[in-house]
Amino acid sequence: MDGKEYYNIKLIVNGKEVKGSVAAETSLLDFLRSKNYIEVKKGCDKGDCGACTVLIDGKATVSCLTSAIQAQGRKIQTLKSLGSWDKLDPLQEAFVKHEALQCGFCTPGMLMTAKALLDENPHPTRDDIKEAISGNLCRCTGYKKIVDAIEAVSKGEN
Amino acid sequence: MNNFKFFKPQSFKELLDIKDELLSAGYPLAGGSNLLVYIKENMVKSGTLIDISSIEELKGINKVDGSIEIGAAETITNILESSLINRELPFFSLSLKDFGNPLIRNKATIGGNLADASPVADTAPPLLVLGAFVSVVSRSGTRKIPVAELFTGPRKNKLEENEVIQKIIIPIPLEGKGAFLKLGQRKGTSISVTSVAVWIESSSDKFRNIKIALGGVAPTPVRALNTEKAFSGKNIDRNSIKTFAETLRKDIRPISDVRGSAEYRTEVSINLLKRAVYECLEMEE
Repeated sequence: MDGKEYYNIKLIVNGKEVKGSVAAETSLLDFLRSKNYIEVKKGCDKGDCGACTVLIDGKATVSCLTSAIQAQGRKIQTLKSLGSWDKLDPLQEAFVKHEALQCGFCTPGMLMTAKALLDENPHPTRDDIKEAISGNLCRCTGYKKIVDAIEAVSKGEN
Repeated sequence: MNNFKFFKPQSFKELLDIKDELLSAGYPLAGGSNLLVYIKENMVKSGTLIDISSIEELKGINKVDGSIEIGAAETITNILESSLINRELPFFSLSLKDFGNPLIRNKATIGGNLADASPVADTAPPLLVLGAFVSVVSRSGTRKIPVAELFTGPRKNKLEENEVIQKIIIPIPLEGKGAFLKLGQRKGTSISVTSVAVWIESSSDKFRNIKIALGGVAPTPVRALNTEKAFSGKNIDRNSIKTFAETLRKDIRPISDVRGSAEYRTEVSINLLKRAVYECLEMEE
Protein backbone atom coordinates (compact mmCIF):
# COMPACT_ATOMS: atom_id res chain seq x y z
CA MET A 1 0.00 0.00 0.00
CA ASP A 2 3.07 2.24 -0.04
CA GLY A 3 2.37 2.84 -3.69
CA LYS A 4 -0.30 5.44 -2.96
CA GLU A 5 0.44 8.61 -4.85
CA TYR A 6 0.16 12.15 -3.55
CA TYR A 7 -0.05 15.35 -5.53
CA ASN A 8 1.11 18.84 -4.60
CA ILE A 9 -1.61 21.40 -5.07
CA LYS A 10 -1.95 25.15 -4.72
CA LEU A 11 -5.42 26.62 -4.20
CA ILE A 12 -6.69 30.17 -3.84
CA VAL A 13 -8.98 30.22 -0.80
CA ASN A 14 -10.56 33.50 0.29
CA GLY A 15 -7.95 35.30 -1.80
CA LYS A 16 -5.00 33.56 -0.14
CA GLU A 17 -2.74 30.90 -1.58
CA VAL A 18 -2.90 27.55 0.22
CA LYS A 19 -0.50 24.71 -0.57
CA GLY A 20 -0.71 21.07 0.34
CA SER A 21 -0.33 17.48 -0.70
CA VAL A 22 -3.40 15.35 -1.44
CA ALA A 23 -4.40 11.95 -2.78
CA ALA A 24 -6.15 11.73 -6.17
CA GLU A 25 -9.53 11.24 -4.52
CA THR A 26 -9.18 13.79 -1.67
CA SER A 27 -12.20 16.05 -1.50
CA LEU A 28 -11.94 19.81 -1.31
CA LEU A 29 -13.81 19.51 2.01
CA ASP A 30 -11.17 17.27 3.62
CA PHE A 31 -8.36 19.42 2.23
CA LEU A 32 -9.88 22.65 3.56
CA ARG A 33 -10.53 21.19 7.01
CA SER A 34 -6.96 19.81 7.17
CA LYS A 35 -5.78 23.37 6.53
CA ASN A 36 -7.93 24.62 9.42
CA TYR A 37 -10.80 26.02 7.38
CA ILE A 38 -13.05 24.35 9.93
CA GLU A 39 -15.93 26.72 9.15
CA VAL A 40 -16.57 24.33 6.25
CA LYS A 41 -18.66 21.67 8.00
CA LYS A 42 -18.57 17.95 7.31
CA GLY A 43 -22.12 16.61 7.49
CA CYS A 44 -23.16 13.65 5.35
CA ASP A 45 -20.01 13.75 3.15
CA LYS A 46 -22.09 12.54 0.17
CA GLY A 47 -23.68 15.65 -1.25
CA ASP A 48 -27.02 15.29 0.48
CA CYS A 49 -26.91 17.92 3.25
CA GLY A 50 -25.11 21.04 1.97
CA ALA A 51 -23.25 21.72 5.25
CA CYS A 52 -19.94 21.84 3.34
CA THR A 53 -21.13 24.39 0.77
CA VAL A 54 -18.46 26.75 -0.57
CA LEU A 55 -18.41 29.06 -3.57
CA ILE A 56 -16.32 28.01 -6.55
CA ASP A 57 -16.00 30.79 -9.10
CA GLY A 58 -19.05 32.36 -7.47
CA LYS A 59 -21.28 29.28 -7.70
CA ALA A 60 -22.42 27.45 -4.57
CA THR A 61 -21.58 23.78 -4.48
CA VAL A 62 -20.78 20.95 -2.09
CA SER A 63 -17.07 20.69 -1.31
CA CYS A 64 -17.42 17.03 -0.24
CA LEU A 65 -17.99 15.96 -3.86
CA THR A 66 -15.42 18.35 -5.32
CA SER A 67 -11.97 17.01 -6.10
CA ALA A 68 -9.31 19.08 -4.32
CA ILE A 69 -6.98 18.76 -7.32
CA GLN A 70 -9.70 19.94 -9.71
CA ALA A 71 -10.25 23.04 -7.54
CA GLN A 72 -6.85 24.42 -8.56
CA GLY A 73 -6.97 27.65 -10.50
CA ARG A 74 -10.50 28.44 -9.37
CA LYS A 75 -11.71 31.03 -6.89
CA ILE A 76 -12.78 29.33 -3.65
CA GLN A 77 -14.72 31.16 -0.96
CA THR A 78 -15.62 29.83 2.46
CA LEU A 79 -17.76 31.45 5.15
CA LYS A 80 -14.77 33.46 6.35
CA SER A 81 -14.78 35.42 3.09
CA LEU A 82 -18.09 36.97 4.16
CA GLY A 83 -17.33 39.00 7.27
CA SER A 84 -15.32 39.16 10.47
CA TRP A 85 -16.28 39.44 14.16
CA ASP A 86 -15.91 43.21 13.94
CA LYS A 87 -17.76 43.61 10.70
CA LEU A 88 -20.35 41.00 9.88
CA ASP A 89 -21.77 40.60 6.40
CA PRO A 90 -25.41 41.82 6.12
CA LEU A 91 -26.45 38.16 5.70
CA GLN A 92 -24.70 37.19 8.93
CA GLU A 93 -26.32 40.12 10.75
CA ALA A 94 -29.73 39.14 9.40
CA PHE A 95 -29.28 35.51 10.49
CA VAL A 96 -28.56 36.75 14.05
CA LYS A 97 -31.39 39.27 14.05
CA HIS A 98 -33.96 36.82 12.68
CA GLU A 99 -32.71 33.96 14.87
CA ALA A 100 -32.17 31.95 11.70
CA LEU A 101 -29.99 29.41 13.48
CA GLN A 102 -30.14 27.17 16.49
CA CYS A 103 -27.38 24.56 16.59
CA GLY A 104 -25.51 26.41 13.85
CA PHE A 105 -24.11 23.42 11.99
CA CYS A 106 -25.87 24.16 8.70
CA THR A 107 -25.27 27.91 8.97
CA PRO A 108 -21.91 28.26 7.18
CA GLY A 109 -23.24 26.36 4.17
CA MET A 110 -26.59 28.09 4.29
CA LEU A 111 -24.91 31.51 4.32
CA MET A 112 -22.72 30.64 1.32
CA THR A 113 -25.73 29.45 -0.67
CA ALA A 114 -27.58 32.64 0.28
CA LYS A 115 -24.57 34.72 -0.73
CA ALA A 116 -24.40 33.08 -4.18
CA LEU A 117 -28.15 33.59 -4.63
CA LEU A 118 -28.11 37.30 -3.78
CA ASP A 119 -24.99 37.93 -5.88
CA GLU A 120 -26.78 36.47 -8.89
CA ASN A 121 -30.32 37.60 -8.14
CA PRO A 122 -30.42 40.53 -5.66
CA HIS A 123 -34.22 40.49 -5.42
CA PRO A 124 -35.42 36.89 -5.25
CA THR A 125 -38.99 35.90 -4.38
CA ARG A 126 -39.57 33.73 -1.30
CA ASP A 127 -39.98 30.78 -3.67
CA ASP A 128 -36.64 31.59 -5.33
CA ILE A 129 -35.04 31.60 -1.88
CA LYS A 130 -36.62 28.27 -0.92
CA GLU A 131 -35.49 26.70 -4.19
CA ALA A 132 -31.94 28.07 -3.78
CA ILE A 133 -31.53 26.61 -0.28
CA SER A 134 -33.24 23.31 -1.13
CA GLY A 135 -29.87 21.51 -1.07
CA ASN A 136 -29.01 22.82 2.41
CA LEU A 137 -30.62 20.82 5.17
CA CYS A 138 -31.47 22.40 8.54
CA ARG A 139 -32.94 20.17 11.25
CA CYS A 140 -33.57 22.95 13.82
CA THR A 141 -35.24 26.03 12.43
CA GLY A 142 -37.92 24.72 10.09
CA TYR A 143 -36.42 27.09 7.46
CA LYS A 144 -38.93 29.94 7.91
CA LYS A 145 -36.52 32.17 9.81
CA ILE A 146 -33.74 31.42 7.35
CA VAL A 147 -35.94 32.49 4.46
CA ASP A 148 -37.02 35.56 6.48
CA ALA A 149 -33.37 36.53 7.05
CA ILE A 150 -32.36 36.17 3.39
CA GLU A 151 -35.48 38.01 2.26
CA ALA A 152 -34.76 40.86 4.70
CA VAL A 153 -31.29 41.35 3.22
CA SER A 154 -32.68 41.27 -0.33
CA LYS A 155 -35.11 44.02 0.61
CA GLY A 156 -32.43 46.07 2.34
CA GLU A 157 -34.31 45.80 5.62
CA ASN A 158 -31.24 45.17 7.66
CA MET B 1 -7.15 1.00 1.41
CA ASN B 2 -8.05 2.40 -1.97
CA ASN B 3 -5.44 3.49 -4.43
CA PHE B 4 -6.08 6.14 -7.04
CA LYS B 5 -4.02 8.14 -9.47
CA PHE B 6 -4.95 11.48 -11.01
CA PHE B 7 -4.33 12.53 -14.58
CA LYS B 8 -5.32 15.68 -16.38
CA PRO B 9 -5.14 15.36 -20.17
CA GLN B 10 -4.14 18.61 -21.86
CA SER B 11 -6.09 17.90 -25.03
CA PHE B 12 -8.98 15.82 -26.36
CA LYS B 13 -6.48 13.61 -28.16
CA GLU B 14 -4.58 13.00 -24.93
CA LEU B 15 -7.89 12.06 -23.25
CA LEU B 16 -8.64 9.48 -25.96
CA ASP B 17 -5.08 8.13 -25.72
CA ILE B 18 -5.19 7.66 -21.94
CA LYS B 19 -8.66 6.12 -22.11
CA ASP B 20 -7.40 3.72 -24.79
CA GLU B 21 -4.51 2.77 -22.53
CA LEU B 22 -6.31 2.48 -19.19
CA LEU B 23 -9.66 1.19 -20.48
CA SER B 24 -12.05 0.48 -17.59
CA ALA B 25 -9.41 1.50 -15.02
CA GLY B 26 -9.63 5.09 -16.31
CA TYR B 27 -12.55 6.99 -14.76
CA PRO B 28 -13.54 10.24 -16.47
CA LEU B 29 -14.05 12.84 -13.72
CA ALA B 30 -16.09 15.94 -14.51
CA GLY B 31 -18.22 17.25 -11.61
CA GLY B 32 -17.61 14.28 -9.35
CA SER B 33 -21.13 14.09 -7.93
CA ASN B 34 -21.40 10.39 -8.79
CA LEU B 35 -17.79 9.19 -8.91
CA LEU B 36 -16.69 10.67 -5.58
CA VAL B 37 -19.71 9.06 -3.89
CA TYR B 38 -18.78 5.67 -5.37
CA ILE B 39 -15.22 6.08 -4.11
CA LYS B 40 -16.39 7.06 -0.62
CA GLU B 41 -18.74 4.07 -0.58
CA ASN B 42 -15.94 1.74 -1.74
CA MET B 43 -17.84 0.76 -4.87
CA VAL B 44 -14.81 1.97 -6.85
CA LYS B 45 -11.54 1.06 -5.14
CA SER B 46 -8.71 1.86 -7.52
CA GLY B 47 -7.95 3.39 -10.87
CA THR B 48 -7.01 6.65 -12.49
CA LEU B 49 -9.26 9.68 -12.21
CA ILE B 50 -9.09 11.42 -15.58
CA ASP B 51 -9.94 15.10 -15.22
CA ILE B 52 -12.12 15.98 -18.21
CA SER B 53 -13.48 19.23 -16.78
CA SER B 54 -11.47 21.54 -19.02
CA ILE B 55 -11.50 19.70 -22.34
CA GLU B 56 -12.95 22.15 -24.87
CA GLU B 57 -14.31 19.40 -27.15
CA LEU B 58 -16.64 18.30 -24.33
CA LYS B 59 -18.10 21.78 -23.87
CA GLY B 60 -20.57 24.02 -25.60
CA ILE B 61 -24.29 24.22 -26.33
CA ASN B 62 -24.96 24.84 -30.03
CA LYS B 63 -27.59 24.53 -32.70
CA VAL B 64 -26.32 22.39 -35.57
CA ASP B 65 -28.49 21.30 -38.52
CA GLY B 66 -31.80 21.43 -36.68
CA SER B 67 -30.44 19.76 -33.55
CA ILE B 68 -29.20 21.01 -30.24
CA GLU B 69 -25.76 19.67 -29.37
CA ILE B 70 -24.70 19.73 -25.73
CA GLY B 71 -21.12 18.97 -24.71
CA ALA B 72 -20.99 16.01 -22.31
CA ALA B 73 -19.15 18.05 -19.66
CA GLU B 74 -21.76 20.84 -19.56
CA THR B 75 -23.34 21.17 -16.13
CA ILE B 76 -27.07 20.85 -15.55
CA THR B 77 -27.05 24.51 -14.43
CA ASN B 78 -25.53 25.60 -17.75
CA ILE B 79 -28.26 23.72 -19.60
CA LEU B 80 -30.99 25.25 -17.43
CA GLU B 81 -29.56 28.73 -18.05
CA SER B 82 -28.87 28.29 -21.77
CA SER B 83 -30.79 30.91 -23.73
CA LEU B 84 -30.51 28.68 -26.84
CA ILE B 85 -32.24 25.74 -25.16
CA ASN B 86 -34.81 27.96 -23.44
CA ARG B 87 -35.69 29.42 -26.83
CA GLU B 88 -35.50 26.32 -29.07
CA LEU B 89 -36.51 23.51 -26.72
CA PRO B 90 -37.87 24.88 -23.43
CA PHE B 91 -39.28 21.42 -22.60
CA PHE B 92 -35.76 20.10 -22.04
CA SER B 93 -34.63 22.83 -19.66
CA LEU B 94 -37.97 22.71 -17.80
CA SER B 95 -37.56 18.98 -17.33
CA LEU B 96 -34.24 19.51 -15.52
CA LYS B 97 -35.48 22.05 -12.99
CA ASP B 98 -35.88 19.42 -10.24
CA PHE B 99 -32.61 17.58 -10.99
CA GLY B 100 -30.84 16.92 -7.65
CA ASN B 101 -30.60 20.30 -5.99
CA PRO B 102 -29.00 23.60 -7.00
CA LEU B 103 -25.67 22.72 -5.35
CA ILE B 104 -25.47 19.45 -7.28
CA ARG B 105 -26.75 21.01 -10.54
CA ASN B 106 -23.73 23.35 -10.42
CA LYS B 107 -21.37 20.38 -10.78
CA ALA B 108 -23.30 17.41 -12.23
CA THR B 109 -22.96 17.06 -16.00
CA ILE B 110 -25.31 15.68 -18.63
CA GLY B 111 -22.67 13.25 -19.92
CA GLY B 112 -22.04 12.00 -16.40
CA ASN B 113 -25.75 11.47 -15.76
CA LEU B 114 -26.06 9.37 -18.93
CA ALA B 115 -22.80 7.43 -18.54
CA ASP B 116 -23.82 6.56 -14.98
CA ALA B 117 -26.84 4.77 -16.50
CA SER B 118 -28.94 4.85 -13.35
CA PRO B 119 -32.52 3.60 -13.85
CA VAL B 120 -33.59 6.95 -12.38
CA ALA B 121 -31.23 9.21 -14.37
CA ASP B 122 -33.34 12.36 -14.68
CA THR B 123 -31.97 13.42 -18.06
CA ALA B 124 -32.96 10.09 -19.66
CA PRO B 125 -36.79 10.11 -20.01
CA PRO B 126 -36.88 13.57 -21.66
CA LEU B 127 -34.04 12.60 -24.02
CA LEU B 128 -35.84 9.33 -24.85
CA VAL B 129 -39.06 11.02 -25.94
CA LEU B 130 -37.04 13.54 -27.95
CA GLY B 131 -35.22 10.75 -29.81
CA ALA B 132 -31.80 12.05 -28.75
CA PHE B 133 -28.41 10.49 -29.51
CA VAL B 134 -25.06 10.48 -27.80
CA SER B 135 -21.95 10.91 -29.86
CA VAL B 136 -19.19 8.71 -28.45
CA VAL B 137 -15.57 8.90 -29.43
CA SER B 138 -12.49 6.73 -29.09
CA ARG B 139 -9.11 6.66 -30.78
CA SER B 140 -10.64 4.46 -33.45
CA GLY B 141 -13.44 6.86 -34.35
CA THR B 142 -16.82 8.37 -33.61
CA ARG B 143 -20.23 6.75 -33.48
CA LYS B 144 -23.74 7.85 -32.64
CA ILE B 145 -25.79 5.78 -30.19
CA PRO B 146 -29.51 6.51 -29.73
CA VAL B 147 -30.21 7.18 -26.04
CA ALA B 148 -32.85 4.44 -26.46
CA GLU B 149 -30.02 1.93 -26.96
CA LEU B 150 -27.48 3.39 -24.53
CA PHE B 151 -28.57 1.65 -21.33
CA THR B 152 -28.08 -2.09 -20.98
CA GLY B 153 -28.83 -2.57 -17.27
CA PRO B 154 -28.66 -0.78 -13.93
CA ARG B 155 -25.48 1.33 -14.11
CA LYS B 156 -24.45 -0.38 -17.33
CA ASN B 157 -24.14 1.27 -20.70
CA LYS B 158 -23.17 0.36 -24.21
CA LEU B 159 -19.90 2.29 -24.27
CA GLU B 160 -16.75 0.37 -25.12
CA GLU B 161 -14.00 0.61 -22.49
CA ASN B 162 -11.99 3.05 -24.59
CA GLU B 163 -14.93 5.33 -25.46
CA VAL B 164 -16.08 8.59 -23.94
CA ILE B 165 -19.31 10.50 -24.53
CA GLN B 166 -18.46 13.70 -26.37
CA LYS B 167 -21.85 15.27 -26.87
CA ILE B 168 -25.58 14.78 -26.70
CA ILE B 169 -27.52 15.50 -29.88
CA ILE B 170 -31.19 16.40 -29.57
CA PRO B 171 -33.21 16.82 -32.80
CA ILE B 172 -35.48 19.84 -32.31
CA PRO B 173 -39.06 18.62 -32.95
CA LEU B 174 -40.93 20.61 -35.58
CA GLU B 175 -44.14 20.54 -33.59
CA GLY B 176 -45.58 19.27 -30.35
CA LYS B 177 -45.38 19.76 -26.66
CA GLY B 178 -43.74 17.87 -23.84
CA ALA B 179 -44.08 17.35 -20.12
CA PHE B 180 -41.81 15.69 -17.56
CA LEU B 181 -43.12 14.81 -14.14
CA LYS B 182 -41.07 13.32 -11.35
CA LEU B 183 -42.15 11.96 -8.03
CA GLY B 184 -39.53 11.83 -5.32
CA GLN B 185 -39.86 11.29 -1.60
CA ARG B 186 -39.66 15.03 -1.07
CA LYS B 187 -39.19 18.06 -3.25
CA GLY B 188 -35.54 19.01 -2.65
CA THR B 189 -32.55 16.77 -3.41
CA SER B 190 -34.73 13.87 -4.29
CA ILE B 191 -33.94 10.74 -6.19
CA SER B 192 -36.90 9.89 -8.38
CA VAL B 193 -39.22 7.13 -7.22
CA THR B 194 -40.73 7.28 -10.68
CA SER B 195 -40.55 9.81 -13.49
CA VAL B 196 -42.53 10.14 -16.70
CA ALA B 197 -41.79 12.14 -19.84
CA VAL B 198 -44.38 12.61 -22.58
CA TRP B 199 -44.15 14.27 -25.98
CA ILE B 200 -47.29 14.74 -28.07
CA GLU B 201 -47.04 15.90 -31.64
CA SER B 202 -50.71 15.97 -32.54
CA SER B 203 -52.61 19.18 -32.76
CA SER B 204 -55.68 17.45 -34.22
CA ASP B 205 -58.42 15.58 -32.34
CA LYS B 206 -56.57 12.24 -32.46
CA PHE B 207 -53.40 11.10 -30.74
CA ARG B 208 -50.59 10.63 -33.18
CA ASN B 209 -46.87 10.33 -32.57
CA ILE B 210 -47.19 10.28 -28.81
CA LYS B 211 -43.92 9.34 -27.10
CA ILE B 212 -43.72 8.14 -23.52
CA ALA B 213 -40.64 7.31 -21.43
CA LEU B 214 -40.18 6.50 -17.78
CA GLY B 215 -37.48 6.33 -15.13
CA GLY B 216 -37.40 4.15 -12.02
CA VAL B 217 -39.73 1.39 -13.25
CA ALA B 218 -37.35 -1.01 -15.00
CA PRO B 219 -33.62 -1.90 -14.93
CA THR B 220 -33.03 1.06 -17.26
CA PRO B 221 -34.96 4.18 -18.27
CA VAL B 222 -37.51 2.90 -20.83
CA ARG B 223 -39.85 3.91 -23.65
CA ALA B 224 -43.43 2.67 -23.08
CA LEU B 225 -43.97 1.33 -26.61
CA ASN B 226 -47.16 -0.66 -25.90
CA THR B 227 -48.77 2.36 -24.29
CA GLU B 228 -47.71 4.60 -27.17
CA LYS B 229 -49.36 2.15 -29.58
CA ALA B 230 -52.52 2.00 -27.47
CA PHE B 231 -52.90 5.78 -27.60
CA SER B 232 -52.09 6.09 -31.27
CA GLY B 233 -55.04 7.11 -33.46
CA LYS B 234 -57.46 7.33 -30.53
CA ASN B 235 -59.62 10.35 -29.86
CA ILE B 236 -58.10 12.96 -27.62
CA ASP B 237 -60.49 12.97 -24.68
CA ARG B 238 -60.58 12.25 -20.98
CA ASN B 239 -61.89 8.72 -21.50
CA SER B 240 -59.01 7.63 -23.79
CA ILE B 241 -56.44 9.09 -21.43
CA LYS B 242 -57.92 7.19 -18.47
CA THR B 243 -58.26 3.91 -20.41
CA PHE B 244 -54.99 3.78 -22.32
CA ALA B 245 -52.75 4.97 -19.48
CA GLU B 246 -53.53 1.56 -17.93
CA THR B 247 -51.57 -0.11 -20.76
CA LEU B 248 -48.47 1.07 -18.90
CA ARG B 249 -48.75 -2.08 -16.75
CA LYS B 250 -47.46 -4.01 -19.80
CA ASP B 251 -44.48 -1.72 -20.33
CA ILE B 252 -42.93 -1.49 -16.88
CA ARG B 253 -41.22 -3.87 -14.48
CA PRO B 254 -40.72 -1.90 -11.28
CA ILE B 255 -38.98 -3.31 -8.21
CA SER B 256 -39.65 -2.72 -4.53
CA ASP B 257 -36.91 -0.88 -2.67
CA VAL B 258 -36.42 1.70 0.08
CA ARG B 259 -38.08 4.38 -2.00
CA GLY B 260 -41.30 2.51 -2.77
CA SER B 261 -42.92 -0.82 -3.53
CA ALA B 262 -43.45 -2.16 -7.05
CA GLU B 263 -47.23 -1.76 -6.65
CA TYR B 264 -46.83 1.85 -5.53
CA ARG B 265 -44.52 2.64 -8.44
CA THR B 266 -47.00 1.14 -10.90
CA GLU B 267 -49.96 3.17 -9.64
CA VAL B 268 -47.88 6.35 -9.39
CA SER B 269 -46.56 5.88 -12.93
CA ILE B 270 -50.06 5.60 -14.35
CA ASN B 271 -51.17 8.72 -12.50
CA LEU B 272 -48.07 10.68 -13.52
CA LEU B 273 -48.61 9.61 -17.14
CA LYS B 274 -52.22 10.86 -17.13
CA ARG B 275 -51.12 14.11 -15.53
CA ALA B 276 -48.30 14.56 -18.07
CA VAL B 277 -50.67 13.95 -20.99
CA TYR B 278 -53.14 16.51 -19.59
CA GLU B 279 -50.28 18.95 -19.19
CA CYS B 280 -49.12 18.49 -22.80
CA LEU B 281 -52.65 19.01 -24.06
CA GLU B 282 -53.25 21.90 -21.68
CA MET B 283 -56.36 20.14 -20.41
CA GLU B 284 -57.73 20.30 -16.87
CA GLU B 285 -57.24 17.02 -15.04
